[in-house]
Amino acid sequence: MTAVAGVNTQLTKPTARRRRDYLPYLLALPIIIYEGVFILIPILQQFFSSFTSDVLGMGPVRWVGLDNYERMFADRYFWNSLRVTLVFMVGTVIVSVGAGLLSALLLNQRFRGRSVARAVMTLPWAFPDLPTVLIFYWILNQNFGVINVFARFLLPWLEQNPKWMFDINLAMPLVVFIAAWKAFPFYGLVLLSVMQSIPHELYEAATVDGASRRQAFRYVTLPELIPTLMLMGILACIFAFRQFVLIFLSTGGGPARATETLVISVYKTAFNSFDFSYGATIGVAGFAVVFAITLAFAFLQRRQEAAAGG
Amino acid sequence: MEKTISTSAAASPKPHRYRWLERIPLYVLVLMFCLVTAFPIYWMIVSVVQPVNLSLQYPPPLFPQAIDLKVFGEIFSGRESVGRVDIWIGNSLVLATLTTVFSLVLSIFGAYALAGRRWRGQGLFGLMLLMTQMLPEALIVIPLYATIDQLKLKDSFLTLALVDTAFVLPICIWILKNVFDTIPNEIRDAALVDGCNRIGMLWRIMLPIAAPGLVAVGVVAFFHAWNEYLFASSLISSRTMYTAPVGLGSMISMIDTPIDKLLGGGLVFSIFPVIFYLLVQRYVVAGLSAGAVKG
Repeated sequence: MTAVAGVNTQLTKPTARRRRDYLPYLLALPIIIYEGVFILIPILQQFFSSFTSDVLGMGPVRWVGLDNYERMFADRYFWNSLRVTLVFMVGTVIVSVGAGLLSALLLNQRFRGRSVARAVMTLPWAFPDLPTVLIFYWILNQNFGVINVFARFLLPWLEQNPKWMFDINLAMPLVVFIAAWKAFPFYGLVLLSVMQSIPHELYEAATVDGASRRQAFRYVTLPELIPTLMLMGILACIFAFRQFVLIFLSTGGGPARATETLVISVYKTAFNSFDFSYGATIGVAGFAVVFAITLAFAFLQRRQEAAAGG
Repeated sequence: MEKTISTSAAASPKPHRYRWLERIPLYVLVLMFCLVTAFPIYWMIVSVVQPVNLSLQYPPPLFPQAIDLKVFGEIFSGRESVGRVDIWIGNSLVLATLTTVFSLVLSIFGAYALAGRRWRGQGLFGLMLLMTQMLPEALIVIPLYATIDQLKLKDSFLTLALVDTAFVLPICIWILKNVFDTIPNEIRDAALVDGCNRIGMLWRIMLPIAAPGLVAVGVVAFFHAWNEYLFASSLISSRTMYTAPVGLGSMISMIDTPIDKLLGGGLVFSIFPVIFYLLVQRYVVAGLSAGAVKG
């Protein structure tokens, strides 16, 4: 739709007045200033701070050059947080986009109760973060949690209730599950809307050519989905990377830093250890990651828009 | 909009009477999905409405054995021991209303700038918005906290609303731009021919047509602030000024909090966002994927 509008404006351009048009700049300026004050300046401050030593109660702020970066690269907890971030990212991307795809495929079928199923499957997305944490905090309670009923039913040989969120091996899969539970409906809705925009004629043509349902999926649905799937994959990476509340409130990064992603580590370094400059340094590493993923997203999106317009 | 393509109807070569058989896996999968998504929410509701001693049994009954709605009265009784959910929700209302007003005004500017003719730097402006949208709040919170602390602007809903607006603005702009883009050029041109200037056209033509989009923007901005935890917890320190997420979050760590009150507060807190998000879902999904899906 947008691409088409773009083509139209380009066609009318030569007849329009050629003088410089200032209106868009006037409209964009307040937003640029606003985001500059609240986003850009803090980023620059963060960058500046990473070259200083600024620890609460350790005297005035000093310029220390690259010391913080040297410390970061030698810090095994920093590398741990990168590894945890990667595991969490890969885990949530696979589970949430995979479940989203499966739910979209299901909802694209015609069956009784489809609209109810669709509403139910959208619920977690509409549910706020904090109540989500409350629910799972209660379900996964070691003594009273309902999960123990299911666990004992499926694994009758369990001698005592697992510690769930406080178990070093279970914490990460559980956090991935919670994050994916909340995120998958979004990918499902996006993929479903793409599936429903595939022209019916393509399926008819495939049937005429003798394609089975499986082949129709493989040669009609899948090729139309792949660009969106890639975009959703990158988007899911970013959403996973920035995930703070669900992890912080459910495990706090523990046990033993098993779920301490990079953003959690930045927050804890600054607000628990009061080492603002070192927190800022890890933050700069985080910006680099986000910047790279966002550029990849913008690049893919533009290529796709160009393909749709041409 | 509910245009369905049923591959099964189009492509299934089997006679009609066997079809329900091959649909069993479909129903099983749908049921499993619905169970996994709905059970946690169901369980929250059950744990709130049944007397708390039943929730604390082992094993807990999977269906409520008795229903007791007194808990909702107690949550709002204003007693310190159950948390001040009444005050916190009021605070969240103030914060969310402020954020909605700021976001609506600014997103009209931004969307109108992006929806019209192409201009130099438009791509860069779009990229700036995208970057802002993708940025993890937890990476910005340290410098923002430091500055706001220095300027003595902490413990203010106005400050918090300004910060929340900065983060929700990009998606608001995408949502509104998508709606503006669906307005045919002919309508805009006709308005210009009739002697409207472009601000008049925005005000008299575009905004009335885009009313559903404005509603969607309002809902998104409102519930962004309503749900936001990180900035609210770091920029507000006085307990009576907590927003609802921060207040409820603070109750998790207090061991003596009765679980039914805690979950009850969470339930009351969630009802409005769930209803409104489901209502404007189509706009939000399109805006969040920022151009990945059209329409």
